[in-house]
Amino acid sequence: MNFEDPDMDTGRLTRRIRQNQSRRNQGESQMAVSIRDLHKRYGDTEVLKGIDMEVKPGEVISIIGPSGAGKSTLLRCINALETPTSGTINVYGIDISDPKTNIDKLREHVGMVFQHFNLFPNMSVADNIMLAPHMLHKTPKEDARQQALDLLETVGLQEKADARPTDLSGGQQQRVAIARALAMHPDIMLFDEATSALDPEMVGDVLEVIRSLAEGGMTMILVTHEMAFAREVSSRVIFTDAGIIEEEGTPEQIFGHPQSPRLQSFLSKVL
Amino acid sequence: MIAKHVRQGWTSGPGRWAMGLLALVLGLSALIVAPLATPAQAAQDSPAAQAVHGRTFRVATDTTFAPFEFRDSSGDLVGIDMDLIRKIADIEGFSVQIQSLGFNAALQALNSQQADVVIAGMTITDQRKQVYDFTDPYFDSGVQMAIAKDNDQIHSYKDLRGSVVAVKTGSEGEAFAKQRAPQYGFSVKAVDQSSTMYEMVKSGNAQAVIDDYPVLAYGIAQGNGLKTVTKKEPGASYGAAVRKGENKEFVAAFNEGLAKMKADGSYKKLVDSYVGNSNSDKKTSASRPGFFELVRQAFPSLMLGLRNTLAITAISFVIALAIGIILGLWRISPNRILSWIARIYVAVFRGTPVLVWAFFFYLGVPQLIGHRISIWLAGALTLSLNSGAYLVEIVRGAIDSVDVGQMEGARSLGLTRRMALRRVILPQAVRIAMPSIINQLVIMLKDSSLLLAIGFGELLYQAQQIYAANFRVTETLFMVGVIYFVAISALTWMANMLDRRLHQ
Repeated sequence: MNFEDPDMDTGRLTRRIRQNQSRRNQGESQMAVSIRDLHKRYGDTEVLKGIDMEVKPGEVISIIGPSGAGKSTLLRCINALETPTSGTINVYGIDISDPKTNIDKLREHVGMVFQHFNLFPNMSVADNIMLAPHMLHKTPKEDARQQALDLLETVGLQEKADARPTDLSGGQQQRVAIARALAMHPDIMLFDEATSALDPEMVGDVLEVIRSLAEGGMTMILVTHEMAFAREVSSRVIFTDAGIIEEEGTPEQIFGHPQSPRLQSFLSKVL
Repeated sequence: MIAKHVRQGWTSGPGRWAMGLLALVLGLSALIVAPLATPAQAAQDSPAAQAVHGRTFRVATDTTFAPFEFRDSSGDLVGIDMDLIRKIADIEGFSVQIQSLGFNAALQALNSQQADVVIAGMTITDQRKQVYDFTDPYFDSGVQMAIAKDNDQIHSYKDLRGSVVAVKTGSEGEAFAKQRAPQYGFSVKAVDQSSTMYEMVKSGNAQAVIDDYPVLAYGIAQGNGLKTVTKKEPGASYGAAVRKGENKEFVAAFNEGLAKMKADGSYKKLVDSYVGNSNSDKKTSASRPGFFELVRQAFPSLMLGLRNTLAITAISFVIALAIGIILGLWRISPNRILSWIARIYVAVFRGTPVLVWAFFFYLGVPQLIGHRISIWLAGALTLSLNSGAYLVEIVRGAIDSVDVGQMEGARSLGLTRRMALRRVILPQAVRIAMPSIINQLVIMLKDSSLLLAIGFGELLYQAQQIYAANFRVTETLFMVGVIYFVAISALTWMANMLDRRLHQ
């Protein structure tokens, strides 16, 4: 659990995490994310009622299900934005509920994209992307800016580097948010309804960026309402309802041959 | 001119601090150190004079107790006490270093050996004789009644039935009035300042005033619009005080000098120049100056007051802002102890009046710690701790109003809570809080006038000093109102400019 070394590059860290992990816990050494019996309760309401789930490196997982099923809560537990009531979550073998784990260090390797982008309005687009690499990896300003420009190019927004986030459209802001998360070279990306707040004509550009990430082999978990996209891009689809995983399988199984009545009913409404 | 001064004080960036410090130093020196009297060239050769020859005594006195001590239109400390002790020092060949502190502070200074003598229109009482040694009485006081100049109805105490009589809180006049009130059927209203009593009589809120005869006589000589119809009541005598058993040479020399002045008539002349009925003397020949002459006379001390007001506000505001930000962060901290400290601080200072703290820091704390607290420190503590409490809530509110997604966005990148606060949350919170912070600054500038209660030389205090001496209350207050208004408008305008620049 060597999360204290600030100069460590991502790949090396990941390898080290995996090595440490494999020495201690052979069985789960290949898992990017491993969740056991996860419960989350808000007061009297139990939102997650025992989730077990595993994600292998390079997998693209889509989590679908009706509103209030606990999809976002599940995703937010994975980078500790929510604290589970009980159960364990391992990310590359690191138990994130262990108080000794440096959560901040872990989050550098878990990129997150939010429904409402959460860009920082007090800085330019480039500064949004540069902030974390500069502060956490001590990347020199010039290098961080060059990286920001490169990332903006890959999401098609190089000319917006010095704009304020508030001057961009929703779709543009979300692409900046993805670039910002990618700037930390994460090992896994979490997308929390990344296109839900966008005007329909903006959705395509954002999905295009996510698709190219998937093709590049990025491990990803998407909470989404875009069923066609989920079917196209996912290696596996998880259907949650009322705080449990009701059904999971390949896109073909989930969308082509749904088994449980709840999934059938859900799909009949959204497709 | 006023606007120019304010702008110089506030716009010149780094120079602002220098200005503040300068004002602080000026204020302190003007407040405390009055000019040294030069020793006489030819002292008499009496044993008493020889014992004090060439020595310097530190003399503490009140700030304003006209006609015994007050500042004339050029800002010099004058009055019966001041003229008398300087004259006696001259005759006997010693020097005096006069400290104008306020009556209670003067006694404290004497007790703590920071002064050798107190001369401040101090009544000789048996109680005080147990603690101090007094010189021979140099003035026979006593109380007297005065009424409005145009009042033809009141000729004696008997005519007071059903009237309101104004007196000064804790004075001999109050004791006298309360004692006679049942007999003559009037009611007594006690206030804090002589000038307030006179204004009450002139405005009809009271029909008569009973006050120390010299104070009253001086006011009437200055044209305060009152007249006397009854004789003065015999009363107490004033003396200069030293610590019991010490500075006997001073007492002897003072008594000798006083006796000489009484013998050669210079004593009577000195006293008459302040409280005499004759209008011939130049100090009392008050042909009422016009408004602009009044402005000209008042201007230097009002500007000094403005400088002190701006300086104490600037100093206190910087401290308050630091308190506001630090305790504001404590307030929202996950650390319960820090959070509760901030909560309790806010509750205490929002739940208590500013004045209580002013008195507490200036009068209470020195007795707890056994050490005098400078009036600047007491004033700055009072204002900054009070405003700090409001700023804590302003900062907290502003941080709360930053979208929670901002913190999540920053934390999801791996930034620590502290980094996220500093780089993402606080910059946005400051923008949100700016109008409230500016508002708090304005409130603070206005609240600084409360410090007059402990004798801090700010704007309104200077105004009181002026009308305590010239009795032109309405015009002086008008000037002060205009100065406050201009200063606050200029300050608000500049703060808004700054705010707008910040928002670009």
